[in-house]
Amino acid sequence: MSSVALRVQQPRRPWAGLVWTLIRTDFVTRYHGTVGGYIWALLKPLTMFLVLMAVFSFIFANTPQYKLNLILGLFLYEFFQDGTRTGLLSLRAKGYLLTKAKFPTWVVVVTSSSNAVITLGIFSVVLITFLTLTRGAPTPLNVALYFVYQVHLLAIVIGFSLAASVLFMRFRDLNQVWEVVMHAGFFVAPIIYPLGILPERVHFYLYLWPPTPVIQFSRSVLVDGRAPSLLAHSLLTFEAAAILGIGAAIYAWRETRVREYL
Amino acid sequence: MPAVIEVDRVSKSFAIPSVRRDTIREHALDFFRRRPQERLSVLDSISLELRRGESLGLMGRNGSGKSTLLKIVCGIYVPDRGRVAVAAPITPILELGVGWNPDLNAVDNIDLLGTVMGMSLRELRGAREEILGFADLERFANLELRYYSSGMAARLAYAVAFRAAREVLILDEIFAVGDAGFKRRCEDRYQALHRQGHSILLVSHDPRAVSSFCDRALLLDAGRIVMDAPAKQVADRYVSLLTEASLPSAVSF
Repeated sequence: MSSVALRVQQPRRPWAGLVWTLIRTDFVTRYHGTVGGYIWALLKPLTMFLVLMAVFSFIFANTPQYKLNLILGLFLYEFFQDGTRTGLLSLRAKGYLLTKAKFPTWVVVVTSSSNAVITLGIFSVVLITFLTLTRGAPTPLNVALYFVYQVHLLAIVIGFSLAASVLFMRFRDLNQVWEVVMHAGFFVAPIIYPLGILPERVHFYLYLWPPTPVIQFSRSVLVDGRAPSLLAHSLLTFEAAAILGIGAAIYAWRETRVREYL
Repeated sequence: MPAVIEVDRVSKSFAIPSVRRDTIREHALDFFRRRPQERLSVLDSISLELRRGESLGLMGRNGSGKSTLLKIVCGIYVPDRGRVAVAAPITPILELGVGWNPDLNAVDNIDLLGTVMGMSLRELRGAREEILGFADLERFANLELRYYSSGMAARLAYAVAFRAAREVLILDEIFAVGDAGFKRRCEDRYQALHRQGHSILLVSHDPRAVSSFCDRALLLDAGRIVMDAPAKQVADRYVSLLTEASLPSAVSF
């Protein structure tokens, strides 16, 4: 017989409980043993924002717009970096669960970005509150668009994580390669420089690096108060959907053998 | 009785670690310099059937392929060839002595393992006291697992798994854990589940356990089933196999 068929009939699983437990225990583990405990979840983005704001207010006193763009870019890139890094390592880190029972392992990958999502969420609230107090409240539409972009960024992070997590089980130096890519990507994304200083013909290529459109669009709606065009939104949605789809396809292709590499 | 698990001519092999390529660098170098691709055959065309309500023992020396077979039946490994059909929900109790999150306390680890095994949070909340009681660890419920001894951690794992038990149980060396009192509780629980009609596939090196708790048994050697008979006969054959292996071989000059 050459065919391989594994048909395991299981009852409808209460995976919601597993999702919640993974998110909760990841949160508990992250702040385990710290002096401030869970308060750090709130303090980290808040203090980072205040420190950066204080420093940049001094250095870039004459360009308040640049200061806000820089902080926003740094935080969004930090989310991308943190989310993909933990996603890449997620299956390896939770290997002790993978060999215990058969369950949908993608849950482990998807929930691995929960801590980064919490940090981004708190940062977003702090930033919008700051903008409201200092420059007037952004319009509800612009705030809504900002959160839509973050959903796109999350989809991109999950897509990368799905692919990288299964490939990492096969290629154990992938995390080191990814670190190099992230360092290079920091300068590809227009975080510390405005996109306008580069020739327009290279903009298209910079936008192919997934954090770039999210950072640029987020700045546009929150700092500049302008919404990008419908075409720009469509391209971002296409890019996020393509990365998520390709990531899911690579994951489905490699997932069945993942446990053999633990 | 109908079969709840059917394994039909299943084979499995693994790449030998010494020649396995695990990094991008190794793959890139091997593009120019081919290395041998040796594989170790672990299971060779295995067929078995677990009937509804049956307790089936699986014996064999270390490296005979027992754990790999269990993982294939549970869906954790994928066979290279052959077919596995499972007609009822499975609770695997495999490698439970290892692999906890050491930074979490017992309650959080119970939630983690219980939900992985398919229990809902509501079920877990209701069963928490019972699980800790079975493991005799009520006093250490809020202690992080890093401070547990290996025996305590294993007891906790078996307590969760026994509580999560569904129609089919796949058990790997469950009677080799804990002190005499815990072993007694495990044996009582095993027999209660068997009486309730659960189907059980039990791997053990213990001839007494297989003879006492199984209706039938299989003897696995070098990836093949070499005996399928009543449990007592298989246990006796396994003991004689071990005795033969331990005899000093003839030395010729």
